[in-house]
Amino acid sequence: MTSTKRHSILFIGLSISLLIFILLHLFSGQLKITLNDFWQSIFDFDKSNTSQLIAREFRLPRMFSALLAGAGLSLAGLLMQTLFNNPLAGPYVLGINTGSSLFVAASMMTGFSFFVTDAGLLLTAVTGATIFGFIILGFSLFVRSHVALLLIGLMLGSFTGAIITAIQATTSAQQLKAFTMWTMGSLQQTRFDQLPVFLFIFAAALMLTLFLIKPLNALVLGERSTEILGFNLKRLRILTILATAILTGVITAFCGPIAFVGLAVPNITKMLFKTTSHHILLFGTMLLGSLFLLFVDSIIQLCESHFLLPLNAFTSIIGAPIIIFIIFKRMA
Amino acid sequence: MIDIRAGKIGYKKVLLEIENLHLPSGSIHALIGANGAGKSTLLNTLTGKTKLFEGEISIAERNLNTVSERERSRLIAFVESSFSGVQYLRLEDYVLLGRSPYTDAFGRNTKEDKKIANDAISLFGLDSYCNTDTSELSDGERQLAAIARAITQDTPVILLDEPTAFLDYGNRKTLIAELNKIAIEKNKCILFSTHDIDLCIEEKIPVLLIEQATKQLIQKNELMTKAEILLKGFNLK
Repeated sequence: MTSTKRHSILFIGLSISLLIFILLHLFSGQLKITLNDFWQSIFDFDKSNTSQLIAREFRLPRMFSALLAGAGLSLAGLLMQTLFNNPLAGPYVLGINTGSSLFVAASMMTGFSFFVTDAGLLLTAVTGATIFGFIILGFSLFVRSHVALLLIGLMLGSFTGAIITAIQATTSAQQLKAFTMWTMGSLQQTRFDQLPVFLFIFAAALMLTLFLIKPLNALVLGERSTEILGFNLKRLRILTILATAILTGVITAFCGPIAFVGLAVPNITKMLFKTTSHHILLFGTMLLGSLFLLFVDSIIQLCESHFLLPLNAFTSIIGAPIIIFIIFKRMA
Repeated sequence: MIDIRAGKIGYKKVLLEIENLHLPSGSIHALIGANGAGKSTLLNTLTGKTKLFEGEISIAERNLNTVSERERSRLIAFVESSFSGVQYLRLEDYVLLGRSPYTDAFGRNTKEDKKIANDAISLFGLDSYCNTDTSELSDGERQLAAIARAITQDTPVILLDEPTAFLDYGNRKTLIAELNKIAIEKNKCILFSTHDIDLCIEEKIPVLLIEQATKQLIQKNELMTKAEILLKGFNLK
């Protein structure tokens, strides 16, 4: 089988699966909601209709959150893995999420009301992600070992986590509650009216990423070859970190820190598609990422009536063994 | 094709003082010198990675200091001493990356790009490996693939940093003979650093010799003998 044919089959298969999972996700739950209810809840909303209210306020935002967060985090992970030439890189393990959290925590605890608005939250989350992105980029210029960079990322995460805990300890109960709710990581916090902003920022970051496809394909060969092929390495690094930070920041702002998706999904995508071409990997990893989060969240939905499973716990339960498997396969 | 005028070359300290060097197109030269004499530094300077202390380098009449990265990538191709292969990167896709300086903003390859890449692959008889993962090729095949990529880049100048370092005797001989042929047939200006003095003599490759003591680059019209190379380049009698 040629690789082109393999890719076509995979894309068709993944797209159909995604469609099925979107429908499963939307239509599962205790209350029966029809397709018509969904349609009307978007275009002809009637507040007094319970089905439409649930569709609009709960089901649709949750589905879109899973779709965007899964795609975005996987994309961010792919970008970081290529940038650092490290299959174990990802926004969570390298401390980008935690950077976002730190900034959100610090700003929320200041008590200024601006920081608890959507714009304030977004701004601080993206700023935090960007700053920590550049910190890890700085380290990567001096640390050549894959494992060492990972350890630095994890230490950065613990360090930041400790500061967050310290901030929490000195704060009022009300602010603490707002922040703790946010850190649990959930696809149920986004409201319907926030979706356009979420979608817009996601699309902007994706547009930027499309222009990184070409240099990233060269970067697979190493930094020297990238320069020889006519690319500006400094610009490439900065733009890649920026795209990663925007994606991670906006998702962290709306859904809280979500672990391991950005690390695991791009690796599975590479194994499936068997290519290094970002023309393919970019879309493959987004499809698979959405699929993964929709799948995980569907299970959470199913269990909801019996017990509450935090999203972060679940992605870690699935993600961590995958990482160990990858390390094992590479080192063995 | 490569012109250096009043060049002082080195990394941190001056290693080479080149009054005037001209390497025309359709020529191949072996850069020979002791470890630390400045072979890699000269190649790095020619790729624009290391800056000149003084003087000027021009490639195809373009001043290297003033060309943009993209323009430079259409003038100079560079082959590193080893390419260890990348998992999931097929040989054909690897060679096609050599077209990057010519593709659109999204890096899409045209039919023309594919033809140029496949011609370069055929040149080294690698056709049957097009779909092979570059991490699964042998060292010799990978080195040939790297040169195929450099040819695909379609530049007047090709520089190679010790291209024979990791190859067995047979592969070394083939590679040097191939390079010689390409320089003439494709009218390229090829410069490669090497320690394979005997092979260069056997294949009648002109030598650029670095004399460390005087910081000079020796270039002669006639071929140098082994004794001469050993004496001036390595202080061996």
